[in-house]
Order: sequence, then C-alpha cells, then structure tokens
Amino acid sequence: MADSPVRVNQPGDAPAGPSPEEQKKMEAAYTQMKRKMAISEMGRAIKHKIMVLSGKGGVGKSTVATGLALSLAQQGLKVGLLDIDITGPNVPKMMGLSGRRLNVESGRIHPAQGHLGVKVISMAFLLEDEDTPVVWRGPIKLGAIQQFIGDVDWGELDYLIIDFPPGTSDEPLTVTQNLPDIDGMVIVTTPQDVALLDSRKSITFANSLKVDVIGVIENMSGYTVRGKAPSGTEIELAAPGGKTVRVTADEEGHWSGTLDIFKSGGGEKTAEEFSVPFLGKLPFDPGFVRGGDDGVHRIVSEPDGPAALAFAEVVAQIQSKVESGSTFGGLEII
Amino acid sequence: MDIPELKRLERRDVDMHLTWSDGTEHLITYDDLRFACPCANCAPQRNDDNSSKALRRAVESFPKEKPTVRPVGNYALSFVWTRGCSSGIHRFERIWRLGEKQDPDNGKAYVHGAW
Repeated sequence: MADSPVRVNQPGDAPAGPSPEEQKKMEAAYTQMKRKMAISEMGRAIKHKIMVLSGKGGVGKSTVATGLALSLAQQGLKVGLLDIDITGPNVPKMMGLSGRRLNVESGRIHPAQGHLGVKVISMAFLLEDEDTPVVWRGPIKLGAIQQFIGDVDWGELDYLIIDFPPGTSDEPLTVTQNLPDIDGMVIVTTPQDVALLDSRKSITFANSLKVDVIGVIENMSGYTVRGKAPSGTEIELAAPGGKTVRVTADEEGHWSGTLDIFKSGGGEKTAEEFSVPFLGKLPFDPGFVRGGDDGVHRIVSEPDGPAALAFAEVVAQIQSKVESGSTFGGLEII
Repeated sequence: MDIPELKRLERRDVDMHLTWSDGTEHLITYDDLRFACPCANCAPQRNDDNSSKALRRAVESFPKEKPTVRPVGNYALSFVWTRGCSSGIHRFERIWRLGEKQDPDNGKAYVHGAW
C-alpha cells in the first residue's frame, strides 16, 4: 500500500497540505493578485500614458511612436516605450537595441535603455532571432500583453508611449481594459484616402472605448526637394497629380519646394470631421528609413534638424492636451 | 449613442441605484442586469423565447447578493458574482438602456464576434 495515492490521516497527523493542482491554482491566483497590484501601482508611478495607433499599416506608426518618445526625452523627461506589436516588433531596431534579450530578475521584467535613456520593452526581446515569427492566437497574445503591462518594472515615468500593430483588434482593446488612467490615443495617418478611411475607424474605436483622442498626426506629409541654382532662377518642379510647383532660388542660390507625394491635408480634414485636434504634419524624410535601419533615429542623429523640430511641435501639442487633464471623471462605487 | 457619464453606483440588497452626470437616476435590479449579460454564452440565449425564459429562471434562482463592480477601461463595468455568469462586460450604453427600461440589445439578435 506504500504507493497508494490514498492517504488516511491518523489522529495526531499534521493536516494534509494542498494537492499539487490546488498549489498550482493558488500560485496562479497569487501571481494574478500581484499583477493587479503592480498595474494599480503603475497607474500612480507613470504620469501620462499615450497609445499610438493607426488604422492602416505602413503609415510610419512605430517611427512616430519612437519619435514622440525621443522628443519627450530630449526635454529631459523620463520616458518609456512599450512596443506591443507582437507579430512585427521593430521599435528595438530603431532604438539601437537589436539582439537584446528580456532582462528578468526576481519575477520582474526590466526594460532595456535605448537612446536618450528611453526605457524600451518589446516582444522582439523574446525572439530567438529577427526572422522568427510569432504565431499566436488571441488569448495567448492577451496573456503576453497583460504580462507586459503588469510585470514590467518601469519605475517612475513622466510618459509611457505605447506602440500598437495596425488596426483596432485585440492589442489596443486589451490595453484599454487593463491599463488604468490612459491619457488618450494618438492616431497616425498618411494623407491618402485609404489611410484616412482606416483612421476614421480608429477614432470611432477610441470613442466607443471612451478613451480620449489626443489628436491626429499626418505622417509622410510632403517631401521637400532642395537644390542650388543662380540667385533669382525660377524653377518648375513636376509634382504628383500633374501639378507644377514653382520655386525661386534665394540670394545665396538655395531653393526648396515641397511635393505632396501622398496628397496633403487629409489628416487635418479627418480631425476636423471628427472634432478631434490636429497635432501636425511630419514630413516625408528618407533619413527616417536610413535612421531606422541603422538604429539611430533622425531625432538622435540631427537633434536640431527639421524632423526633430516637427516632432517637437507635435509633442508640444500633445503635452498641452494631456497635461491639462483628462475628460474622464471618476465613478464612485459604493 | 450619446449618454451622460455615470457618476455614482450604489449597490443595494437586490438592485443598484445609479446617478448620471445630467442628474438622471436609475434603479436596476440585479436580476435584470444578470439577464441582460452581454457575454457570448448568455446573450445568444435571449435570441429564442424558450432559452430566454430559461435564462430568466436561472438568474432569478441565484441567491440575492451584492456583486463586486469593476471598471473595464473607461467604457464599461463588469460585475462579479459568487454564482452564475460573471463574464459580461456591460458597456455604459447598455446600462443606460437598462435603466431607461429599454432593450439593451436594441432589438438585435446576438451575433458572435459583433458588438
């Protein structure tokens, strides 16, 4: 009978402990409780939390999210960047953190430090190599996001920027349900109609979740061509859509003209249509592509360049909006 | 649907008293709230008369208790009961309709994945 799973307590025996299954359940409940406490603490320790979304892919959302984080960090603020794009995480590459692995100590995840001291957490830190795909169904993604929210030791932050995959599905929904006191969403779009159509969906999505739309950013808005010619020379540039842009070389012979490659002004129109703020236009800049590939964002390589200035203007608008307070009031439950 | 903001929720023995930002007050019984559960298990049961009556009987058979109320983001509340279904995420619009004695489903049959 020594191997029998049945054990009969004799008088004087110590009470039987929990079974392995009960032990597992208790541990899971304890982990969940700890996570909830950490999330609630996170609400206090992080002053502002901003979600960066777009309806359509390829509008430069990660570049914008990274740019916002770096621009805020340029002001000396403490900034975190959470890359929640589980299947296509590319923030680490832009922050010069390729190949980093997740740093876990005493059950807490510690963010990596990127340019200008921005703290970064990304799914990419979990992947064996850059070519490994993440093939997960919704519930597994949900668990990973909850861990990224509850188990990361961000410390005190002024701003947490959260970069999402395109669309309005599991990821932003899970974050809005789990992360307390979100200041709002920034919607990134490009000026063409397809992107604008999807941006409208993002705004409606934010409205339905009662999350403030901080505003719309129009990315890749106009490409500026520059050159030199004898002073006073009039130059005609053939622009998209059969248009002509006329420019004149200045006294030193410099000239520049902006071509609206993907049209222009659509972001502003969409913002107006939905009565949400328009935060500004970011120029199409091939330097972003090179900077992203080299792991040095344009804001880091040219801190006083046109891109950095454009980001600074957008960031100033975001700060004035979020620091004036959220529109969502408290609910008293008794 | 534009509705006022929910400012106060008082859990009483068999119902809850709600106060909205425009001063509107509602009383919603826990039975009505549980019957209107929007989860994927409960909601389809309201599509059919027989299963709807069975759902009503089931929620009325549960002991009367005050639920634990948890905000879900800024847009909804969840109610946790010791017995029965606690899965539903009740959007404020649904709670408002319940308070106004309107059909929270707005006359629409439940379709999986649509909300």
